[in-house]
Amino acid sequence: MLHLRFDRGTLLLKGDVGTPYGKWDPRVNCYRIKAAHYRDVLSYLEESGVPLKDEVMNLPPVEPLKSTVSLRPYQKEALARWRGAGMRGILVLPTAAGKTFIALKAIDLLKLQTLIVVPTLDLIDQWKKRVSDSLGLEAGAVGGGENTVRMVTISTYDSAYLQAGTLGNRFMFMIFDEVHHLASPSYMQIAEMYVAPYRMGLTATYERSDERHQLLPRLVGEPVYSAKIEDLAGEYLSPYTYEKVFVELTAEEQQVYDREMAVFKGYLSKRGITLKSAEDFQKFIMTTGRDKQAREALLARNRAVKVALNSKSKLTHLAEQFRTHRKDKMLIFTLHNDLVYVISRRFLIPAVTYQTPKEERREILERFRNGGYRAIVTSQVLDEGVDVPDASVGFILSGTGSAREYIQRLGRLLRKVEGKRAKMVEIVSRETIEVRTSRRRHKTAAGA
Amino acid sequence: MLPSELLAVWKRKGTICPRYSRFSQDDLAVASSLIETYDAHVGCKKSRLKEFADEFEDKGFEYRFVRGLAFLLDRRSTFKCDDRINASELRRGIFEASGKLGVPTSQEERKRVVEAVAAELRITDLDVERYLYADLDSELALEKFQRLPPIELLKEYNIRLAQTLLFDATEARFTTTDNWQNIFHAVKRLGLIYEIENDDGLWVKISGPSSLFKLTRRYGTSMAKLLPTILVNPNWNFEARILWKYTNEICNFKLESQRDSFLFKTPQPSAVAFDSNVEKDFAQRFEALKSGWLMKREPEPLTAGKQVMIPDFSFERDGVRVYMEIVGFWTNDYLLHKVEKLKNVEASMLVAVDEDLACGKIESLEKQSQLKLVLFRKRVPLPPVIRFLDEAYRGTRMTQIELIRSLPIVFTEPVVSYAEFAQRIGLSLEAVKTALAEKPPSDYVIMPTTMVRKDTLEQVAEKIEEKADRTGCLPLSAALKVVENEGIEDATSVLETLGYKIVWHGINVEKAEVTKNEKKSPQPSDAGHSQTA
Repeated sequence: MLHLRFDRGTLLLKGDVGTPYGKWDPRVNCYRIKAAHYRDVLSYLEESGVPLKDEVMNLPPVEPLKSTVSLRPYQKEALARWRGAGMRGILVLPTAAGKTFIALKAIDLLKLQTLIVVPTLDLIDQWKKRVSDSLGLEAGAVGGGENTVRMVTISTYDSAYLQAGTLGNRFMFMIFDEVHHLASPSYMQIAEMYVAPYRMGLTATYERSDERHQLLPRLVGEPVYSAKIEDLAGEYLSPYTYEKVFVELTAEEQQVYDREMAVFKGYLSKRGITLKSAEDFQKFIMTTGRDKQAREALLARNRAVKVALNSKSKLTHLAEQFRTHRKDKMLIFTLHNDLVYVISRRFLIPAVTYQTPKEERREILERFRNGGYRAIVTSQVLDEGVDVPDASVGFILSGTGSAREYIQRLGRLLRKVEGKRAKMVEIVSRETIEVRTSRRRHKTAAGA
Repeated sequence: MLPSELLAVWKRKGTICPRYSRFSQDDLAVASSLIETYDAHVGCKKSRLKEFADEFEDKGFEYRFVRGLAFLLDRRSTFKCDDRINASELRRGIFEASGKLGVPTSQEERKRVVEAVAAELRITDLDVERYLYADLDSELALEKFQRLPPIELLKEYNIRLAQTLLFDATEARFTTTDNWQNIFHAVKRLGLIYEIENDDGLWVKISGPSSLFKLTRRYGTSMAKLLPTILVNPNWNFEARILWKYTNEICNFKLESQRDSFLFKTPQPSAVAFDSNVEKDFAQRFEALKSGWLMKREPEPLTAGKQVMIPDFSFERDGVRVYMEIVGFWTNDYLLHKVEKLKNVEASMLVAVDEDLACGKIESLEKQSQLKLVLFRKRVPLPPVIRFLDEAYRGTRMTQIELIRSLPIVFTEPVVSYAEFAQRIGLSLEAVKTALAEKPPSDYVIMPTTMVRKDTLEQVAEKIEEKADRTGCLPLSAALKVVENEGIEDATSVLETLGYKIVWHGINVEKAEVTKNEKKSPQPSDAGHSQTA
């Protein structure tokens, strides 16, 4: 009699039979198998006709669902493709295209214990509400101090990774929201250490600049459906316009910028270093750990960039924009928290950063929805997923060169509201390296 | 642990090592200044403290070192929010007002919003500015600081560095001398798997379940957490394989107590806790018995193949060692697993099994196992345990005695100390004594703690006779001196063997004398073992 059980994110097979999936573990004298191979091992052993005692799963009880989800045609198509692929696969849909509803419909379809993995604590709350609204079910949560497993449970990527050893055998179905995160070296172990045979990945931005998205098909399934903003804009997403505004640094800022950049460039030319790619830059940063002058140069560059990113002229321009958009709901995006608080103080609008207490964050988003607040300034925490339904105007004061970040920020504005025309404004300091950063995010975004 | 961006290392030819502080004058000065700064700035904002630390960086000190120390000092500090005005409520008031009145885009509009809210909350405009974000981390004020000597800060820094490096470990191995119970408990608690490697002493290799499939840093945190439990001991060696994230190469990281222990402060060992009341109760009653056995609650692990087994108790007497395991709740499977493990252990083991908690058939178990079982209800009875110990003692001693007899040793020294001899051959003193007493080497005489060559005894006898007066008497102290000069410990026994009697004149040793006992033969002899040529 063979004996299969779950051991901290892996399966142990006792008895003198190997499988093509297992590996002999001399430390414990039996075969060990990756949890993700559960289904394969079962069918292999079944075919071989070997009697098996399967003690792998430890499932929470199934609860009845009262589903009220109805899908748009493209959502139905996406779900059908996923079913056709054996209930595995990735759906690539723009933000605000209603990925959540497809996932909820899939839960309704399978009626199995489900873990939804999300990038942020805010998204746990948001999904909980959706599960309750659309499936009539109270969801469990793991992360942010909560630890309850229920038929539908929502967890952050961090908690799902850290607790893989105890959660890995508690679900049959896994949904990865913003699935591009899963490709990172540590998070990908989530996919390997959980037993769940049915998997769904959701993202608006499938491709990663480090090419690691190529790992995702093995972990979750192939991309089975893909639609772009342009495919859905108008009918299912709000139409939008985009504008780039250049501002001049103040005389004083220009002076600091030029001085600091000279230090940086002087160092590079003295050492004969050219920085062409992100890898070049990464290598340069590594030398700063050993070389004091390199570090001086890096700090000078950082000061210069900070001046450009945080220019007073941007705030002056932002004030003008606020005057023309008195009636609109606005989101202001920055790269660093410092600037978030400068703007919050100056314009007396709420700020959302990782330091904002959870309760207050919830309240700010709620009041923004019901119109009590007209603007929110944020760094990167609202980039992903969190719903801010009728925000129509966005301002990017600073950001990285990443296309993903841009697409996600844009996505915050596109949720369809009748008659809404969204507008994204990017405010860039003229004649600084910021111009290049801005160009980079659009160049790659266009290719996506 | 430190934030990983503060980890500073040396890397050379496949080895990696943290850049420890080696307590240079400069390092000590930085540590001391930082401590003084924190101590002198209670009430200051966190952002201000950070500026002080930045100053050291500006002076050219390694920034990761300075920030690492500051990070550790932050953890010894408590910070407090100035909450005379509730920042969160103030913000709500301000944002509501600006939501109602419209986002202020000029100084005047802004002033109007601030004034309106200040008036409503009955505070000043300045309070609004001051408290709007008073609860941000950088705005918190230092409330209390627990100072420490600079050298201890540096030692703390060193161990944190080593632990931070271990976050990137894929596997590790270590050896040490003590604290095993705690170490293996920790290994288990931290979700690690161990393997025993017996090549050069007892090495324990640790990894995690998923390590079998690929190199993973997943268990690095657990290995880092395990480290202090090992460093409790005075002697240790610790090696880890680090998957260095910047270059993706595997590097070796080594810690050796002989070389490195000065870098760290020895962590406080945690007291050994008894697993159950049954064990505690047994330990107390056994101790009270004063049986002559030295009981130890946390013996060194017995290796059983790749596994170890740490019994609940060890008992030692004259080099004879016996183990005991108390089993509460059990099933046949569980005990059979234990039996399986014990097959590979070369040690005398007694297993006390709780009958009331048994889930299997005891009879079948006794048949199947070669284990010595003691059944109990509620408390472990002493008599069968003692009996087992005594049997084991006799058994082991018999074996040892036979072993000694079979040793091809030729004694040549004038005086042989049993204790030294026992140590030299690694057997128990009792066994040595017994073996030699039963069959002494032909030219030696047995004394209580030593064995003396006959010709040495004769020389002693001659010397004493020379010193004695006409009546054959001499002071005890003089006689003892003669014997002791030959390097013999058992001086009075030697005198008695040579036929002398000690005559006491009062209790003063100085006045005692020795005199020839007429009844005894002058030949060296020992009761029952006369070796007359």
